[in-house]
Amino acid sequence: MRPSFHLVLALVAAAVTAAAGPPPPAAVGVPGKRADDTCVACHRALDDPRLHAPAAAADTDVHFSQGISCAGCHGGDPRAQDAEKAMDPARGFVGRISATAIPELCGSCHANAAFMLRWAPNIPTDQLAQYRTSKHGQALAKGDTNVAVCTSCHRAHGVLPPTDARAPVYPTRIVDTCARCHADTTLMARYGIKGIEVAEYKRSVHFAALTKKNDLSAPTCKSCHGAHGATPPGISSVSNVCGTCHLAQRERFDLSPHKAAFATLSQPACESCHSNHAIVHPLDSWIGVGDGQVCGQCHSAGDAGAKAAIAVAHDLGTTTGAFTAAQTRVTRVSRAGMLMDDAQVKLEEAHQALVLAQVEIHTADVVRVQSQTKQIMAAATAAEKLAAAAEKELRYRRTGLFVSLVVIALAMIALIFKIRAMER
Amino acid sequence: MNVLASLWRLLDERFELAPVVEFITHKEVPQHRHSWAYYLGGLTLFFFGIQVATGILLLLYYRPTAEAAFESVQFIVTRVPFGWLIRSIHSWSANLMILSAFAHMFSVYLLGAYAKPREATWWTGVALLGLALGFGFSGYLLPWNELSFFATRIGTDIVSKVPVIGAWLLKFLRGGEEVTGATLTRFFGFHVAVLPMITGALIGLHLAFIQRQGMHVPENLGKEAQQRKPLRFLPNFVMREGVVWLAGLAILAAVAAFFPWELGSKADLFASAPAGIKPEWYFLFMFETLKLLPAHVLGIEGELVGLAGFSLAGLVWFLVPVLDRGSVRGQRARFFLFLGWAALAYIVSFTVLSFAGAFK
Repeated sequence: MRPSFHLVLALVAAAVTAAAGPPPPAAVGVPGKRADDTCVACHRALDDPRLHAPAAAADTDVHFSQGISCAGCHGGDPRAQDAEKAMDPARGFVGRISATAIPELCGSCHANAAFMLRWAPNIPTDQLAQYRTSKHGQALAKGDTNVAVCTSCHRAHGVLPPTDARAPVYPTRIVDTCARCHADTTLMARYGIKGIEVAEYKRSVHFAALTKKNDLSAPTCKSCHGAHGATPPGISSVSNVCGTCHLAQRERFDLSPHKAAFATLSQPACESCHSNHAIVHPLDSWIGVGDGQVCGQCHSAGDAGAKAAIAVAHDLGTTTGAFTAAQTRVTRVSRAGMLMDDAQVKLEEAHQALVLAQVEIHTADVVRVQSQTKQIMAAATAAEKLAAAAEKELRYRRTGLFVSLVVIALAMIALIFKIRAMER
Repeated sequence: MNVLASLWRLLDERFELAPVVEFITHKEVPQHRHSWAYYLGGLTLFFFGIQVATGILLLLYYRPTAEAAFESVQFIVTRVPFGWLIRSIHSWSANLMILSAFAHMFSVYLLGAYAKPREATWWTGVALLGLALGFGFSGYLLPWNELSFFATRIGTDIVSKVPVIGAWLLKFLRGGEEVTGATLTRFFGFHVAVLPMITGALIGLHLAFIQRQGMHVPENLGKEAQQRKPLRFLPNFVMREGVVWLAGLAILAAVAAFFPWELGSKADLFASAPAGIKPEWYFLFMFETLKLLPAHVLGIEGELVGLAGFSLAGLVWFLVPVLDRGSVRGQRARFFLFLGWAALAYIVSFTVLSFAGAFK
């Protein structure tokens, strides 16, 4: 049964004017079925790229493929054959939608849990609520139309699900999507943002994990700032943000005297040593109070913290050296053809203890770090011993081979002499 | 001496061995510029002997199941005294045996030794090379490592292209639809029982034919062989062969000790095939050719065309004593000589190019 014209009109108008209700039934088809739409048919035939492109993008659009037609957002009558009637303002047609209306328009469906249930039961429906709390949403509410709205990141037409690798919000693309505004230093200057954050992030281990290791779980902008509720994490919450992934480090930091000290100084926890966007691979050489060493930012030579840092650095330096030496020796013997599985197990033990020692650094407790460095030393020494035994075995084999080759050569010479003597 | 003499009398009385000894002591080996080729068959036999000896030693510890095969080989090379050497020698000697068998076959072919009356020697020889390749293919899987597992999967998959019986052959070889522990047990059976039994019988025949018919002299070297004094088989030829064997042993000991055969990592039936899976070097020329063929040739599957081509070439090679009709009169057809050189050039160039990475 077709709904009455007045009902359609009323519903379209309601959607466009940011009412909370879903789009009109005429604009919403059967889930999973492509929309049957005269808008797309006509606009595809138009030459003006501004009018043609949205219709061309319908083929890949997630809404269109699920039966939601252009009228779902733009109003009008998608079944009318006549353009005048299809785009009649009396039938709710609004044409271009203003930026300020977009979040509420998208939210008319996406914030409606009962409506979304028909298409994607597991999709969250709190994006609009989150957006309102975001820096973007707050600025938009004040009439600033330069800020990001839904379509800035998800596109208006040709909208793809975030799991689609072509989508602008896919993990490997989202950084560049944010960069479209956040790398614009002139625009960012208005908001007191440097505009170099994305460039800094691209030097980080997180970006390397995302792009080089193709680790889609590596953090991007939204992992720390939130996606729809995008906002900078406050000083007190930085360690919580980092701690969502770096649980062990956070737990150790909370045990350290730094926790209280940083809170007193209103200093961010992780960021103070690791930076925020340009988080590079941390090195053991950072520990200390010398030039470029992170502890020196607060401690000075001679104080208890500096002494602890120097002790930790010395311990780590010694054991890492022993571990690397053992690793090199075992690799060399393996390449010479010896099976070094036992030594590999020891090296793995040393590596694990090294990782734990580097985690324990966050406690700033020398004893806890040493409990791990002792294990590194023990495992590295065991690997060295096994490598030495293998080297001895190799020498034995080579000597044995040399002796047997000499014996074979002598036998050959003896035979040749015998043959010659016989045939003379 | 008395003991030996008594033993000899005892045996001769019962088995009438005097004619055999008489035959061996009077047997002569002709000498000419290509008489070096007479040592290649013996060298192959020497490597086969090493294979049998080291294979028996490996059998003492090897366990032919998917669960234990890899671990047992690992145990052999790490824990068993001299196990590393035995396994390394077994693997290297297998390769050297096939290399010397190829050299022996090509020297026999190019010097025309296949001609009547030596057809049966040729046929048993070609069959023995086929068996050696079978030994190589079945033995390659036995350590049950990643490389051997995937190479066997690709190798056995080719069999499925055979028309009509392909699917059955695949199932017969694999002991099921996929390469599993059943394939390993089956290959082990082929490797240590079926193939050695047939090979042993064929080597016996091959050697008997050679002893009975004597060495072949190439048609164009008959005059030279008449002018030069032949070698007595015993002891002169045998002692020279001894020098060749010792040289083979020296090479084998050197490569086995300096380049121990790698074990790799255990086969994982559910893992995806690693990049660069290749069969053993002696199958490379066929493998690369099949890869070069287009998906379809004249509407027929490319691999099938390749297989048919190799089968036909193998048949021509096998039947060459019959096909080269002039060879019986000492007038070998130039076409077959050209064919021999072309086959040698093809096999060597494809193998070398494959190692050089030209087909990547």
